[in-house]
Amino acid sequence: MLPDELLEQLQTSFPCRELQIRQLSALYSARLPSPSLLTVYGLEATGKTSIVRGVLRANSIQHCIVNSRECITGRHLLERTVASCLDALDQYDDAEIDRKPYARCENISALVVHLQRMMEERTEKFVLVFDGIDRQREAPPTLLPSLARFGEMIPHLSILLITRFPLPLALHSPGAPHLPFPPYTRAESIHILSQSPPKIFLTPPDPEKFPDYTADLAAEDDAWLWGRFLGTVWDTMSKHVGRDLVSFRTTALRMWRPFVTPVVAGELGTRHFVRLMVRQRSLFQGEEPLLNRVVPKESRFKENIKDTLAVGTVKKKPLHLDTDILSLPHYTHYLLIAAYLASYNPARTDSTYFMTHADGRKNRRRVKNTPLSSSVSLSKSKNAKNHRRIPRHLLTPSPFPLDRLFAIFRSLVEGEREGSVPQTGDLLGMVRTLASLRLLVRAGVGGEVEGGGKWRVAFGWEWVRGIGRGVGVEVGEWLVGGVDG
Amino acid sequence: MEHERCYIYTPPQSEERAAKRRRTDSSNHQAQLSARLDIYRELWAQQEERIHATLEEADRSTLENIVNFISSPSRNHDQGLTCILTGLIIAGPSIASHGPFFDRLGRKIRNETNSAYILLTSGECPNLKSLLKNLIKKVTSRTEDDDDDDIAQGVSSRRGPKVLDFDLQHVQEWQTRNHVEKIVVAVQDSEAFDAGLLAEVIDLFHSWLDRLPFVLLFGIATSAESFEDRLSGRALRYLEGEKFNVTQTDKVIETLFGATVASTDVPLRIGPNLSRRMLDRQKDYVQNVQDLSDGLKYAYMSHFYANCTSIFLKKDITFKELPKEVLEAVRNLPSFRKWVELLLDSRKTQEVRKLLDSDEHLFETVKANVISGQEVLAAVTAAVIVLVRLREALQMTSQVPLSSIWIRAASGELAESPLLRETMLSIKKVSSDKLGQVLASFKAAESIYLPVDISAFQNALEDLLKQKTDSTPLRTQDDVRTNSLRTTVVAQKVELSKHKAALSEQDKLYSELIARLHDDLENYFNGTFIDPKELFLSEILIYDLRSPLTEVFQPKPRFAIERALGSPHDYLGCDCCSAAGDKGAEAALSATQPATAILYQLYLESGSLINVADLWAAFNAITGEEGEDNDHKTMALFQRALAELRYLGFVKPSRKKTDHVTKMLWKGL
Repeated sequence: MLPDELLEQLQTSFPCRELQIRQLSALYSARLPSPSLLTVYGLEATGKTSIVRGVLRANSIQHCIVNSRECITGRHLLERTVASCLDALDQYDDAEIDRKPYARCENISALVVHLQRMMEERTEKFVLVFDGIDRQREAPPTLLPSLARFGEMIPHLSILLITRFPLPLALHSPGAPHLPFPPYTRAESIHILSQSPPKIFLTPPDPEKFPDYTADLAAEDDAWLWGRFLGTVWDTMSKHVGRDLVSFRTTALRMWRPFVTPVVAGELGTRHFVRLMVRQRSLFQGEEPLLNRVVPKESRFKENIKDTLAVGTVKKKPLHLDTDILSLPHYTHYLLIAAYLASYNPARTDSTYFMTHADGRKNRRRVKNTPLSSSVSLSKSKNAKNHRRIPRHLLTPSPFPLDRLFAIFRSLVEGEREGSVPQTGDLLGMVRTLASLRLLVRAGVGGEVEGGGKWRVAFGWEWVRGIGRGVGVEVGEWLVGGVDG
Repeated sequence: MEHERCYIYTPPQSEERAAKRRRTDSSNHQAQLSARLDIYRELWAQQEERIHATLEEADRSTLENIVNFISSPSRNHDQGLTCILTGLIIAGPSIASHGPFFDRLGRKIRNETNSAYILLTSGECPNLKSLLKNLIKKVTSRTEDDDDDDIAQGVSSRRGPKVLDFDLQHVQEWQTRNHVEKIVVAVQDSEAFDAGLLAEVIDLFHSWLDRLPFVLLFGIATSAESFEDRLSGRALRYLEGEKFNVTQTDKVIETLFGATVASTDVPLRIGPNLSRRMLDRQKDYVQNVQDLSDGLKYAYMSHFYANCTSIFLKKDITFKELPKEVLEAVRNLPSFRKWVELLLDSRKTQEVRKLLDSDEHLFETVKANVISGQEVLAAVTAAVIVLVRLREALQMTSQVPLSSIWIRAASGELAESPLLRETMLSIKKVSSDKLGQVLASFKAAESIYLPVDISAFQNALEDLLKQKTDSTPLRTQDDVRTNSLRTTVVAQKVELSKHKAALSEQDKLYSELIARLHDDLENYFNGTFIDPKELFLSEILIYDLRSPLTEVFQPKPRFAIERALGSPHDYLGCDCCSAAGDKGAEAALSATQPATAILYQLYLESGSLINVADLWAAFNAITGEEGEDNDHKTMALFQRALAELRYLGFVKPSRKKTDHVTKMLWKGL
């Protein structure tokens, strides 16, 4: 067991994990024997790796941690294990081990031999930690069962596996000890996060104006407001999505700055939590703080706040799509629309929608009677329940041959403006460009030049509607079944 | 020959010589080619420099932002989160310009910061392993000049565990020796990468972030939102950064056109038809700077290759180095003939005689006229630039880009055009506060010679403004705001009458000033906007042939095949088919045509499933001769033709029905 002061220290740096720390330090102490295998499991951000590392360090036990995240293949993991074990032993013994025999480690058997050779003359125990071993890429199927037996075969070696889930079956070893790291509860999460409150005032207020507001007072205010705020964030947002500590913290930090703006602006006091909540309730109503983005969207927060200040209610805005960023050549717009229509309209309705000659009317009538026709009109009729169908634009796109795309394209363009598009190779070039932008995707096999090649679109309804409106084509009018909303 | 697997084909020997036409003339037509090539190189070097300067200028600010971003310290220290610094570079949908952009970016980053720059493209990184191998190779190859490099590697390989070639420890080793501040990994075409692969790479880099200072740059062709949508939330959590917008290609193309074609000091102009064609193509099909500059280059090349009179564009050309043929060619130019007729009309017969007889005199005249022609064209361009600036300063509602105004001017449509008239009218109405801006914008264009004394106008305006006491701007008599409508009801009829508010003394003076400016500008525009095609020697000064460019840059492969099969006479030019072709469309099918062409025309008449037996019957009816014996031959022809159609991708065996083939391609798409 650890001396009590060391335990205390560990517990302050990792709060709410007292049980796990005690168990680990009991299992891995310098004098008592350690289990040959232990599986530490728990979900993301439950402190597994940090606590294992902390306990092993505090107990000054010789150990080495291999992170599976950094190993690309199973072989890589083995080589990495050997190398890091050698490095660790070198460091502990303060001597260089002759590395010649360890040049290659092709498979697990070789790893056993290497480890046996390393451990041969040692008397002290050595803990080998495999972090995230259940997510190892290209792992050989025998990896986990054989790792589970390493401790039995090699003296002084204990294996510690850190995984997301318990692995009783994968280890093929009865009674392998497991140590759970349960997710933090609400109280625990808030307790942990309130240890480090962010500041309300990024720049401290002018000391001449507010001589009483000292740094201590500010820190007290920060902690007070942050604690309340965390509770609200948990109840409104993180309880439902992103319960783990990291997501909770990210969400809270993302909302903190906009939340305290009225305080910073001097409109409300630091302790006016309820009024602040009422004022900033719109923040908690949207989903924006929960979304991970590379570029933070601060401007949108501000817009929302402005709206709520002006009107008092949150306007429901349609999803912002910056199609304007994508300034495509003129015909490419039409080609994209044609591709969408080719993917979502059944081929046999093409003559109805895109042909101009005389028997178009007859076809149209026939199409209306087919079950694939307008879901809108049917769902509005009385026996709607019998005929309810999924709107076409919610289905997966179906593949189409290139000629059909060009035929629809020409029909669209020539309907919109006079004159025809010349048959240049640029059209094929355009298809190629769109394919490399992953807007059109090759479906199935078949050469590009051969007629057999089929394509499908890889963009959604909203986007193509925006594109269509950009060039004055209402795509919904061309879509079989129409689109409501 | 069925009994033989292979045999040697002996072509039937014919006595006659090949029908191909040969040049009988022994004289060298391209004697001056190397001289013209030199002129071309000189002129194109100038243009290329302009293009480079324009492109550099276009994304200078973006590049600087990115470099600042990279050299900034990583953020989020206070939040306790470590994220990979990430730049999303919205480079626009013209993929061809991404490569040069990232090259420039790499050069700038390497020069200005202590960072390693690694460019990854989707082609070389199909999976995680090869991506890492590539990355390591590119990072470590920079230090091959290090002396101790070999020793270090030798030692590590001789003893101890081998480091696999996709292990980032290589990079770490390299980093301990080189100590770069950042390792910038640029992903050029992020769309083409598999989303799963990107997520794995981000995860891996994040795991190494405590040892290796990675910075990620993603080139994005669509939008940042769609990029973020493709990545998982887990991967996104590791990224934090900024978005950079590269200047959009259409704007760059406009400035590029302004710099290379619609610029005052260009010796050889691209004509209006060609310019229009090139710009339309940019607008409709491809937005690609590289393509535009390639087009320009090809136009320059064609001009100097095919036009022997283009040698006159050489600056210090002497009479001696010029062969007679060139001057003879000048005498045959349409513009020369027109000019001679003009001279004859004005009864300068002596001059004409001299031009036709004396080579030396012709040479001198042409040389002088080339220079004066260039000046006239430069003046037209200058006037266009003045007009564009004028419209900008007047804040006219309809924005017409420089390129379209230039094209109109170059095709001689601008004089007396509605556009010009509209601009001149709004000059008449301009108020004094705007006039200051207009004059200042003229003043700013120093390189342009304007035969209007701007300073005098500026002084006059200042004098007028000094005399004025209130702050309202001066108005002219044509300004609508001085008009007011008055309605009077006389015997139940409403009469509308316009009334002019009384103009103050200063307003009157101001109106006079404006009228003077208007007249001066109108004279200037009317004097300069001539039709360049009417210019003497316009064939030398302007290159305006569309077809060479179209053939090279806008090929029509499908149309060509369809035409060759649909009307083979167009290509064969043989007598037998042309006779049939003259009679009309019905007679287009004839037995003399190639078998594949006949079959193709039958194919066009059928539906999407074709019965091969029917096709054979129709084919036999056209080509088959009387008698049973020839059936074999016709069948062979038919089979070969069908095989050729299949090879070209027109038909495919159908699984729906036996003995049928599926039609794959329709004509005219």
